Amino acid sequence: MNEPHSGPTGTTRRNFLRTTGLATAGAATASLMVRRPAVAAEPKRGGTLVHLIQPEVPTLATYMSTSSPVSQAGTRAYAGLLEYDFDLNPKPSLAESWKVSDDGLTVTFKLRKDVVFHDGKPFTSADVQFGVMEVLKGVHPRGPGSFREVTRVETPDAHTAVFRLGNPAPYMLMALSSYESPIVPKHLFQGSDLRNSKHANEPVGAGPYKFVEWKRGQYIRFDRFDKYFKKGQPYLDRIVQRSIADSATRTAVLERGEAHLTGFGGVPYSDAKALGKLPHLTVTTKGYEMFSTLTWLEFNTRKPPFDNKKVRQAIAYAMDRQWIIDNIWFGFGKVATGPINSNLKQFYTADVRNYQVPDGLELANRLLDEAGHKRNGSGVRFELVHDLTPYGEEWQRFGEYVKQRLDQLGIKVTLRYEDVATWLRRVYTDLDFQMTSNWLHGFADPVIGVHRNYHSSFIKKGTVFVNGTGWSSPRTDQLMDKAAVEPDATKRAALYKELQKLLVEEAPIAWILENKFPTVYNNKFADVIAGPLGILETLDQVRLA
Amino acid sequence: MRDFGRRFARNRGAVIGLVILGAVLGLGLAAPVVFPGDPFQMAGKPFERPLGAFALGTDMMGRDVLAGLAHGARTSLLIGLVATVIAVVIATVLGGCAGYYGGRIDDVLMRFTEFFQTIPSFLFAIVLVAILSPRIENIIFAIAAVSWPPITRLVRGEFMAMRNREFVQACVVLGMRDRAIIFTEILPNALSPILVTGSLMVATAILIESALAFLGLGDPNVMSWGFMIGSGRTFLRTAWWLCAIPGLAILLTVLAINLVGEGLNDALNPRLKHL
Repeated sequence: MNEPHSGPTGTTRRNFLRTTGLATAGAATASLMVRRPAVAAEPKRGGTLVHLIQPEVPTLATYMSTSSPVSQAGTRAYAGLLEYDFDLNPKPSLAESWKVSDDGLTVTFKLRKDVVFHDGKPFTSADVQFGVMEVLKGVHPRGPGSFREVTRVETPDAHTAVFRLGNPAPYMLMALSSYESPIVPKHLFQGSDLRNSKHANEPVGAGPYKFVEWKRGQYIRFDRFDKYFKKGQPYLDRIVQRSIADSATRTAVLERGEAHLTGFGGVPYSDAKALGKLPHLTVTTKGYEMFSTLTWLEFNTRKPPFDNKKVRQAIAYAMDRQWIIDNIWFGFGKVATGPINSNLKQFYTADVRNYQVPDGLELANRLLDEAGHKRNGSGVRFELVHDLTPYGEEWQRFGEYVKQRLDQLGIKVTLRYEDVATWLRRVYTDLDFQMTSNWLHGFADPVIGVHRNYHSSFIKKGTVFVNGTGWSSPRTDQLMDKAAVEPDATKRAALYKELQKLLVEEAPIAWILENKFPTVYNNKFADVIAGPLGILETLDQVRLA
Repeated sequence: MRDFGRRFARNRGAVIGLVILGAVLGLGLAAPVVFPGDPFQMAGKPFERPLGAFALGTDMMGRDVLAGLAHGARTSLLIGLVATVIAVVIATVLGGCAGYYGGRIDDVLMRFTEFFQTIPSFLFAIVLVAILSPRIENIIFAIAAVSWPPITRLVRGEFMAMRNREFVQACVVLGMRDRAIIFTEILPNALSPILVTGSLMVATAILIESALAFLGLGDPNVMSWGFMIGSGRTFLRTAWWLCAIPGLAILLTVLAINLVGEGLNDALNPRLKHL
């Protein structure tokens, strides 16, 4: 289809589809290009980037909220101990170097000596100790999980922080980005009520942009922090964040260049596809590698008919994932094969039962016959209520697809659409559902994002986005328990590969696609997406093209 | 009766309306025969243009737009008629009692009616459907629930005017029971304005249903015109027919019902009888 547009300086281009392995691109995905900057001599300075954040930002306290708008807005102000490359390997940031002891029980960070907070006070190991032990373990939603093995943080000198762990915690090193674990200044927070600190909405950090003002309902403004520890960075003068409720207006504003950046569903998939064809905009799906999002169908394995593995497998076989990606998600996805996203290269394996086969419907029919669900006089095997995820149009289309597809198997599906609160209660509290669509982030390590969906300890009535299928087995529990504390990377990977095989065979969930969210940005700017967290990076590398 | 037909036919618009309405009704009745099976089934490639492989094209999921239109006609007419019948029955009972008995009963019933009239009707319908969950019976209930108050007031007015007429007083003197007077004497005489208002109410009901479906509050298992427009609006710039075709269907149907209502008014209005 259309060629990637060339940049004004004759940039090298590369086809993003190829690099992320987005198979059978087809018409829908050809416009997902990412442009690489030329190896320029001196980056341009200055410029104001207008970032559209959807939905409205409720607070800037990224140390106690991980919701998407909060992180998109507040992360500008904070730095983290580490950064990550696109393959999710850690890179230095506030920590110059780090070392994990052989037994995995001690992690030592050497900190940079030239870092100051926005108020001019230096950053030291005391801030790390306070940040991890009090803030992240205290009020952060995922911190207690990421740092659960941390018993104490020692500070032998001002620029060394030693984490002492109860058990090895290999996943902890994946949770140290500025987004996941922002480091706040101890001197401003100590002794105050963290949840009601005035610095929640007037953030002070060591990040590249310092907070200037927040006009509620209008904009949030961050300006360049001149004493940022990366010399010469950031390049932009200012980042302005706005929220616009109507999606059509957001699309129009981007099209006209009044705003320059949006991601995470900021524009509908169908619009993103169209915007990608405009010469002054780039649409990319890079920058979500650390979220490892999956969309799936989830079965209530406690009750018939889905207490039978064959019925679950039949439904998994019946789904044409590529059709769903091309027609419902407009190409913004990749066929999912199992519980671990293929972004997590060291853990992922495709060597599992393959449900995406051309004769899926036949196999499904055979499995249903074997399961004892014979067709009655009018060709119906059984009836089923399918709950739609109440998050928007593509979910409704997905439900309609499921209904039509299962109709071909002789399963008569009724669709049920409820508001978010009712749906969550039905699935996670009342457990009163048969099958529902769902999507969850897997994050950078299976311990953080995957275990919660399959481990029996996460069958928690009333807690949302955990093991809603009610599925568990001693063997898979054991594999996850072992993998969580295994310091050896190869052995760990082997454990997860076995886990994937078992789970895919049992199919408590029919995994459909790995979501690829579109980020739209104006070509006035370069280097916009530079890491696996995309627009949730600090954006200290963004510059005028 | 022939008189009625003659007077109705004198209104050209009403005849045209009747023809359109008949066509829509025919389309709806023929739907299960001409387009058997589920109108949600994916019949072809997505985004086929009209007058190609499919007469009216296909939508983003490859569903036949014409099949959707036909099945949608059933839904729209069914919801319109049933909701209106319910609303008219409620209105006749409440308005009839209020108008006939007057006094304190009238006060109570009218305050009750006014209470409902103060709530913006479409918002009220949204709230009802959102609470009760979007299923076709709930949608019908919600539309009926917001439609009855204006008819109630109309019926009450008719009954109050009729209450003191001599033929009614004669019935009272003869010792007829209230119920018999209301249903056999007054109601037949008050029927024409109720019929005219009711016919217009069908149009309103169709519009409310479409608006609900447009907002995503339609029954996800039932094809309707509002659903077609709502799901197609994202593609307005690339696939105009997804919104234009069902939109036109709504426009024509509502227009036809209004024309027929006008014709009924002409035909039933006693003051126009001598014409």
